[in-house]
Amino acid sequence: MTNNARSSWGRILLLLGRLGLAALFIYAAYAKMRPQGGLPWSLASIRTSLSMFAMGVDSYQMLPQWAVSPFAHWLPPFELILGLWLLTGIALRVSSLVATLAISAFVAAIFSAYERGLTISCGCFGPGEQIGPLTLVRDGLLFLPLALAVTIGAFLIHRKGSGASRSEAAAPATPGSE
Amino acid sequence: MNHLSDFSHAGKLRERCARWPGAARAVIALFVLGLGVASGAVSQTIQSPPKATKPATTAATKVTTAKAAPSLAAPVKAYGSKDAPITMEVFSDYECPSCRNLFENTLRPMIGDYVASGKVYLVHRDFPLPMHKYGYEAARWANAAARVGEFQSVEAALYDNQDAWAADGNIAKYVSATMSAAEFQRVQKLMAGCGSTTSAAVHSPQVIPVAQSSQTCALDAFIEADRAMGTRIPVQATPTYVISYKGQHLPAGSGIVSWPILKQFFDSLLAQ
Repeated sequence: MTNNARSSWGRILLLLGRLGLAALFIYAAYAKMRPQGGLPWSLASIRTSLSMFAMGVDSYQMLPQWAVSPFAHWLPPFELILGLWLLTGIALRVSSLVATLAISAFVAAIFSAYERGLTISCGCFGPGEQIGPLTLVRDGLLFLPLALAVTIGAFLIHRKGSGASRSEAAAPATPGSE
Repeated sequence: MNHLSDFSHAGKLRERCARWPGAARAVIALFVLGLGVASGAVSQTIQSPPKATKPATTAATKVTTAKAAPSLAAPVKAYGSKDAPITMEVFSDYECPSCRNLFENTLRPMIGDYVASGKVYLVHRDFPLPMHKYGYEAARWANAAARVGEFQSVEAALYDNQDAWAADGNIAKYVSATMSAAEFQRVQKLMAGCGSTTSAAVHSPQVIPVAQSSQTCALDAFIEADRAMGTRIPVQATPTYVISYKGQHLPAGSGIVSWPILKQFFDSLLAQ
């Protein structure tokens, strides 16, 4: 396989990873914001879903009470924006790093709840999913490594791109290069 | 240009990138593949309507449903008006510390506020867990008290004194303190045939009583009816609460939720 073919494969895999990560965040936001209990789509029903998510956040018993509601109302829009940002690919190193940090925080919260013996809803993709070993495995061994891989890939491509730019910039100064 | 995507650089990078590290490529491929499989599973889990599955806490439970005496109507274990726009059903075990926490810190202020003002109808559902020695017996006492119209005071007494009766099993002491002697006699009559369900657990802590219901205890039918309802949700732990608004059921939640957060949720529902 030639170097060009290898780098093409790398870019394709990075693109797939980036799209997967974007879909993950967009779906997580959608699942938290979608109306529950047969309510129609409206600002009021979205607010109800976010208030319901706040109850899930509260059950983790990690945040002070004053922070629960603001956090629960901002997290899904943040996930949506992050998902769209990943989708565009703009400043991928930064967006993938933010995604990695966010998933790390989620895994830490789930692990902490599991460790404390809390039998609560994960809240990861809306209500209903109970925290358990499967949640930890999925988030810790699948989503987190995916985010890490995309981040590493984004940094590698950037480094190689910068390296090549420097070589090209230096090339004309080399005697006999043309 | 550094802030542009890898995609916008594609043309230049094709020429510039010497080679992509094989290990990184393999890792990404593996997890993208895994993500596809997992997201399918997750989507299925989230979107499937809740089916009756085996609750985690009753894996080894074989429920024996007792038949209620025909004279016994279902006891009312609820607070407030049935006409309230919001109904909250709480599946709990009187011996479970989280259930006590929820009752003391969330449901009590809620009863004094939104239940009293007719916004919420609060229903208690029994879901005694096999891991608790006296949970089932406490549920029997509460059901008997409900039959004589003393459910609310007995539920409060059971949670207030949970540590004490959970240590010695003397539930009657706290039930009798909430009512007159005549009422307590009626409750004791209802408890006739129920006996103590804790001997197996006391003598052999390794052996947890299976379902603890008895053919001779008429009250068990009400407990089992609640448990069957919980199994259908499915209740996987206590406390689990199911909220419905104008007849529409919302997804069940579990664990402790503080009153201000729950109140905010109720307000958003009432604003619909």
